[in-house]
Amino acid sequence: MTDRRIFAKILIAVLLVMGVAMLLARSFTAANGASGESLLSRVFQARAAIPAIAAEDNDLVLVFGSSMVQAGFSPREFDRDLADMGIDVTSFNFGFGGLNPLFQDYLSRRIAEDFEREGRRLKLALIEFNPFQATRTRRERAVALEESYIATLASPSELFEILREDPERGSRMLTIRYLRDGISAEMITTFFWGEPFQAPLIQTELEEEEGVAERLQEVLAEMNDRFEAEYPEYDGSDWYYPWRGGGTNKSERPQETLDLIEEYYRLTQTDYQMADDRLQRIQTADIEELHFDPELVEAFIRIVENFGRIADQVEIIMLPKNTDWIRNPPEALARQAEVVAHIERETGVPVRDFQQIDAVSNDMFSDTTHLNRYHGAVAFTRHLANFYADSLR
Amino acid sequence: MVFNTPIFFVFFVVFLLFYGLVFLQARPRVYFILVASLVFYGAWNYRFIPLLVGSSIIDYYLALAIAGASTPSRRKLFVTLSVVMNLGILGLFKYADFLLMSVADFLGVFGVEASLPTLSWVLPVGISFYTFQSLSYTIDVYRGDMQPRRGLVHFTTALAFFPQLVAGPILRARQILPQFHNLPVPTWSGARHGFLLVTSGLWKKTAADLLAIPAGRLFEADAQLSLLETWTGVLAFAGQIYGDFAGYTDMAIGLALIIGFKIPPNFRLPYFAISPVDFWRRWHISLSSWLRDYLYIPLGGKYQRHRNVMITMLLGGLWHGAAWTFVAWGAFHGIIITATHFLGRLPALAGFAANRSRSAVLLKWAITFYLVTIGWVLFRANSIGSAFEIIVDLHTFTGLAEPGPMAAWIALITIATLVLMHLADWFVIARAEAFENRRWLFWPVLIMIHSICLLVGEPSDEFIYFQF
Repeated sequence: MTDRRIFAKILIAVLLVMGVAMLLARSFTAANGASGESLLSRVFQARAAIPAIAAEDNDLVLVFGSSMVQAGFSPREFDRDLADMGIDVTSFNFGFGGLNPLFQDYLSRRIAEDFEREGRRLKLALIEFNPFQATRTRRERAVALEESYIATLASPSELFEILREDPERGSRMLTIRYLRDGISAEMITTFFWGEPFQAPLIQTELEEEEGVAERLQEVLAEMNDRFEAEYPEYDGSDWYYPWRGGGTNKSERPQETLDLIEEYYRLTQTDYQMADDRLQRIQTADIEELHFDPELVEAFIRIVENFGRIADQVEIIMLPKNTDWIRNPPEALARQAEVVAHIERETGVPVRDFQQIDAVSNDMFSDTTHLNRYHGAVAFTRHLANFYADSLR
Repeated sequence: MVFNTPIFFVFFVVFLLFYGLVFLQARPRVYFILVASLVFYGAWNYRFIPLLVGSSIIDYYLALAIAGASTPSRRKLFVTLSVVMNLGILGLFKYADFLLMSVADFLGVFGVEASLPTLSWVLPVGISFYTFQSLSYTIDVYRGDMQPRRGLVHFTTALAFFPQLVAGPILRARQILPQFHNLPVPTWSGARHGFLLVTSGLWKKTAADLLAIPAGRLFEADAQLSLLETWTGVLAFAGQIYGDFAGYTDMAIGLALIIGFKIPPNFRLPYFAISPVDFWRRWHISLSSWLRDYLYIPLGGKYQRHRNVMITMLLGGLWHGAAWTFVAWGAFHGIIITATHFLGRLPALAGFAANRSRSAVLLKWAITFYLVTIGWVLFRANSIGSAFEIIVDLHTFTGLAEPGPMAAWIALITIATLVLMHLADWFVIARAEAFENRRWLFWPVLIMIHSICLLVGEPSDEFIYFQF
């Protein structure tokens, strides 16, 4: 065999071994239904809806943030409340669970590009600043997701910029994006092998009332059945256009369903459930002490700037806090005040602190952080409508 | 640029394409290897390329000067210059701050507050490897063990050869330099063995990354651990350091073999060792043989053996890093080697030392493995105090925390991974040829292992030995 032929044979073998190995690895993740798109399905569905959003006749309002926005803002009720005041807008819920500001920064760039491509501007963009999403603890918990999520949310030019600055990281992220379908090795390793090493979730020493868990299962099953019967047209999307990214409305539900939902709220707000939820939030997000991660705060500032490109008015809001369960010590509040002042200084946008407002009481939460849909979200949405009515007129 | 990353894969494919299919003459190929190696090194930090190239140029000319020197004193002068330059570079980058801080700490013991300035320089990756490699060349020429070879580019290329540049093995010039003067042509069977070594190395590196999690829990976290979890952490580190380093060198040797270059093995089933001396014949062979040839024997070798062993092991420990934990690790190995020699000469134990029965070998293996594992605590711990606490915990049977719910399972997986690493190595040593000839089995197994390594692991983690 000549020198050249042996090298050609080696080269082919190298490419074949790695090519087939990559194909097998990708088949494994695909067979398990794992992909960047499936992990961020609500994000992808919301982005896919932007051309239709841009085609809406009314002025547009978009509320962007975490799962607290997802649960706590009801677009159709917002529009109805404003319509009652003679203001026609169409609003959308762009709240997404599991994304810290680092990921939201990339997402907000994509949203801004999408709107710019459509040549449409927002009348008002409300950006949620969620203090416990910007903590060091919260970030550390998401380290294994970081490259996957950024590789999935970044644009090709951003990925090539990362490649230019750090070829090793950039090549890894390009591989995650284009060859691994958004799933990094770290993500898989953490899923299969990391969990036993994480400290177990702290649990309350309170005893759960007898029969609550069983009854909760029954209520949930019945709620699901009723939902399917009452919304036959719902297609199962995580971000559903007819609801504009929000959820169902209280006014659409029959009284028997509402009674059942009230029972569900009672069953999920027992001291046992709430104490457990609080401890887990402390452990996973440092929700009371609030030790902020400076990089996450800077990423949040960039989110505000990204929305500034496509919105006539950008506002930063802080959503209601369940003060029965989440109590920040003075040092934490001082840290929060410092970060808020920094954000206001850097963005020139005031932070509207709705953490403690009369319109929302502590019994309107479904857990220690999220507003419930038929009381909390309704009340908070109405509060927003009243607060922003003048600027939307 | 790390072997188990996508960027290295692209690098190697492009390298193969040009090296094998575009440049067909020997000289352009050597030049191309040099350029590729500098790109490989520069990907980490291009500012240190002049240091690498500069020290190779100086050693090249010093070797020629040694060979051409008219008097022994001039020969000695030139070799001294080489030693001073190489150890000076190493000392400046690696040990200056450690020395200054140690002096300040020492003065502090006597109540003298000394705030000495530190350099805080970045340690050039692979510096400990290539300075030792370069140094061995001038010393070999000085001793007359080899003649200097003309060809500065060839010498620089041999020193910078990318598979072994950043984490060894530490090659002797006589092992690698002739291959650059007479470029080898790869054979298909050699390349196949290279693929096997790369795959074996990749698997070990992946396993090492997984073992880093239980090891990190012991050495990095403040968590209170049970006896089982403490032992699991130490065993996991034993597996991690072996998988990481042996994995890297397997890949280095395999990649070199794929393009035809032969690099000798650096590990030979080290945890199967049956004495501390045996361990050092199997672990990081290129370093231990370097220390033997250029330090232990010049110190006098077997004459004043205990003193020479202690000096060699102390400096061997220090070679790994500028910290007292590495010095303690070296001293620990010095002590156990010396103790082995001493005990082996006692009439009561001489019989046991010579006993080759299965039970005696098993007992010797158990003692050796226990000692080596204890040594790893010194190597890995953040301080000597912390190492001492862990060693005490390893032998404390009451009063520790209760094991977590998964503790037994994690211990089992850790031990299984350690065993599997060695089984894979034994297989590569003993059964490789037969396996490589069964093409229907060989390629699918390789592909399967590669796909598993693509699925799991933490590719962002660098190799531990890069820091040395």
